[in-house]
Amino acid sequence: MTSVIVDNNLHIWLKELAEKYILIAPVTSDGVTLFKHVKAPEVGSIDLQFLNTAVSPKGYFFPLSETIFSIGVERGDVIAPMNADAEVVIFGIRPCDAAGIALIDRVFLAEPVDISYKGKRDRTILIGLACNTPSPECFCTSVGGGPANPMYLDIMLTHTPSGYIVQAITGKGKELTPVTMVEEKDVPSPPTPRIAAIPMEGVREIMRRNFDSPYWDRVADRCIHCNICSYVCPCCYCFDIRDYAGKDKIDRVRSWESCQSAGFTRIAGGHDPRPTKGARLRQRWYHKLLYYPTLFGDIKCTGCGRCVRSCPVNIDIREIIMDVQKLNV
Amino acid sequence: MIEIIRNKAKEWLEKNEDGCVIGYERASDGMTARPVFIYEPHMMGKLIFDETCVHNLSKYLLNRRGTRTAVVVKPCDSRGINLLINEHQLDRDSIYIIGVVCPGMKESHFGRIEDHPLSKCRRCLHHTPAVYDVLVGEPQPETASHDYSDVARIEGMSLQERNAFWKEQFGRCIRCYGCRQICIGCYCQECFVDELDPLWVGIRSCPEDNWIWNIGRAFHLSARCISCGECERVCPVGIPLMLANRKLEKESADLFDFEPGMDAATAPPFATFIKEETLEKVE
Amino acid sequence: MCSLSAANPFIPYPATVTGVLDLTPDIKLFTVELTDPEQRENFDYRPGQFAFVSAYGVGEGPYGIASLAERKTGLEFAVRRVGTVTRALHELEPGATLGIRGPYGNWFPMEDYRGKNILIIGGGIGMAPLRPVIHYVLDHRSDYSGLTIVNGARSPRELVFSDEYDLWAEPAQCKLELCVDRGDDEWQGRVALVPQVVSELRPSPDNTVAIICGPPIMIRFVLAGLKELGFSPAQIVTTLEQKMKCGIGKCARCNVGDKYVCKDGPVFTFEQILNFIEQF
Repeated sequence: MTSVIVDNNLHIWLKELAEKYILIAPVTSDGVTLFKHVKAPEVGSIDLQFLNTAVSPKGYFFPLSETIFSIGVERGDVIAPMNADAEVVIFGIRPCDAAGIALIDRVFLAEPVDISYKGKRDRTILIGLACNTPSPECFCTSVGGGPANPMYLDIMLTHTPSGYIVQAITGKGKELTPVTMVEEKDVPSPPTPRIAAIPMEGVREIMRRNFDSPYWDRVADRCIHCNICSYVCPCCYCFDIRDYAGKDKIDRVRSWESCQSAGFTRIAGGHDPRPTKGARLRQRWYHKLLYYPTLFGDIKCTGCGRCVRSCPVNIDIREIIMDVQKLNV
Repeated sequence: MIEIIRNKAKEWLEKNEDGCVIGYERASDGMTARPVFIYEPHMMGKLIFDETCVHNLSKYLLNRRGTRTAVVVKPCDSRGINLLINEHQLDRDSIYIIGVVCPGMKESHFGRIEDHPLSKCRRCLHHTPAVYDVLVGEPQPETASHDYSDVARIEGMSLQERNAFWKEQFGRCIRCYGCRQICIGCYCQECFVDELDPLWVGIRSCPEDNWIWNIGRAFHLSARCISCGECERVCPVGIPLMLANRKLEKESADLFDFEPGMDAATAPPFATFIKEETLEKVE
Repeated sequence: MCSLSAANPFIPYPATVTGVLDLTPDIKLFTVELTDPEQRENFDYRPGQFAFVSAYGVGEGPYGIASLAERKTGLEFAVRRVGTVTRALHELEPGATLGIRGPYGNWFPMEDYRGKNILIIGGGIGMAPLRPVIHYVLDHRSDYSGLTIVNGARSPRELVFSDEYDLWAEPAQCKLELCVDRGDDEWQGRVALVPQVVSELRPSPDNTVAIICGPPIMIRFVLAGLKELGFSPAQIVTTLEQKMKCGIGKCARCNVGDKYVCKDGPVFTFEQILNFIEQF
């Protein structure tokens, strides 16, 4: 017997969630699916047929731009931004994106704690949606994840023809589960989808030995050094801190940035330890596949496939990994 | 057609040993295309040319200044080369342009090719490159007239509707600068949003600054945009960037009877100052 | 609604400029006092550490702390005017407000160097993080053996901390060698590059630790010279500089390979640096 919520009840539950919390859910408009704040009358617009959103939901914890604090111009007083108290429910998050947030947690929740990030994490409940149909670019199983991986979620939903199987994973999830709308039914779990495997053995060591390989310059030939890969990624977290001076106050703002952009490591005076395209491109792969794993154990990639879909010039992380293994020969 | 491209490229590379051929190869999905840089003549078999070769490769020429480069271009891409030569960014003599008469590109995404053409190709006027050293394919006649029906749709909106439309579109912008990095007309050493001293705009993402970014860039391209459509193709959140660019393109055509990139000698109107010109108030 | 200022690691401590001294045409020494007495009391730092200094409205930057906490002179930074933030800082006068975040990074393990000969080699603004090391050795003179300082600059006017040279050369077993790349009408001293002066001094590697800071090219040649004299990489220490934003290991910008200069450094031995996967 499994706990199931049928489509009609799901709709009612979503409405209740939208009334009680800030409900964030996937919405498709103009052909693009993105997580959006959905108000109660709009829950019909939630798209649960989506594969994945164009941009990951990490922005709900680590915003694209965030004012850290402000300084009043007249009195020079520090104005700390008020942390909103409203609780947030992110509905329909895929296991790969939840895993991405967990990878960012390792850095932002380490001492000294990023308290703005922590506040948002503490106030947010993640209701996941298992993937019955992966994208062709997905490879979560090769990096320690899976299409039905419940880790890092509070509740997991799995769609079946008879309704959504509901699993409460954490205490927060259990509290939120709408027991009156859930029925016990005999519903078989849908078959686990097959996801192409990328051989990952030895990648770390091969990369350590091949840092100076001309391979990185060759791949970088076609890289246009935009920020797309880093920005759509669920676990990239490089940021910039800069002051914006207004008439009445100065805002110190943290914004996303990417190690790919020119001048990322250039210091005043002009010295740049990564002056070439190849050096910057190399940093991306080394951070994901060597440096972060050296520090934390896990690869800094959840196999969501967004960068593969979105790169304007088809720099494909799966191909990079397989090429790295050939560097060994 | 592909054999001619490969042969011409190989001949050129054999004569220019330190050079590089920039063309298209098969992407990792096995069906679409991606840019390729070939340094060895025996690798020329990698080159392909089909309806998935959407990328404008001429931007890469800016990374290879001071070296000899051959590049495969479609008519839209070739207009970019004319623009860059006119603006003194490229040396014509160091580039070998393999111009391809273009059959039009299909709309393609990673792992998926649609069966309809790209909208820019549906309205394309010029099927023969505007500049080339060697032409691959039989020259095609130009298509008769411009189709600005997409722009007319926006022009038909009231100011409030237009404001609301663009507010929603630019509201999705994540300031990834994919549009800028892929654009052949965007090559400033320091982009106006990166300028720190003074801080003109910055990289903060908020509705006001996203507006300034997108509209500012469109205006910097007015009467220069060669309509390759790459900006819109790469945008990860599907903003219809070409609508803005084409509106300004239409205005330039109406006001100055000027089409960017048709030759390397004619400077864009906003880069031209003629003493005899006078300002007239438009009623 | 709760305020985020409690324990937010990105919010600087408010501070005031209490002194500005022109050291060279483009380097100033700022003395800074944290406004809040408790923050001032708890701001405990060691030689080699750095802090972020904010010129509000322009930005903040990481600067090596040039003072020794024990001397209670106040928090000092030697700042070279080279970019946007440093230019804004150079316009500050005593009484001006700024912000301080820190102290960050690791430090020179002065206790481990006890009983050893200390060889300090600095070029230009590189003397700034070495100054607290010099002060520490002078203040604990009997804990250390010989003290040799080689201090170079491009020209005589660009020698930093020149008002202290008598104090550095004075005590027993202290040697101060000054040199400039090019002299002027009044300069009576050595006209030579720092690596050359080091090699000619022939310092013995026995029981010695060499602490270097300066432009990358100077470090490279000094290293080669010390290697020839028999110094092992573990005996040579430096402090690195990289573009930084957060200073607390979160923004992923200052890494040299898998080492973050803000957390694992900025102080590194050359034994560690030889194992770096990336160039800095």
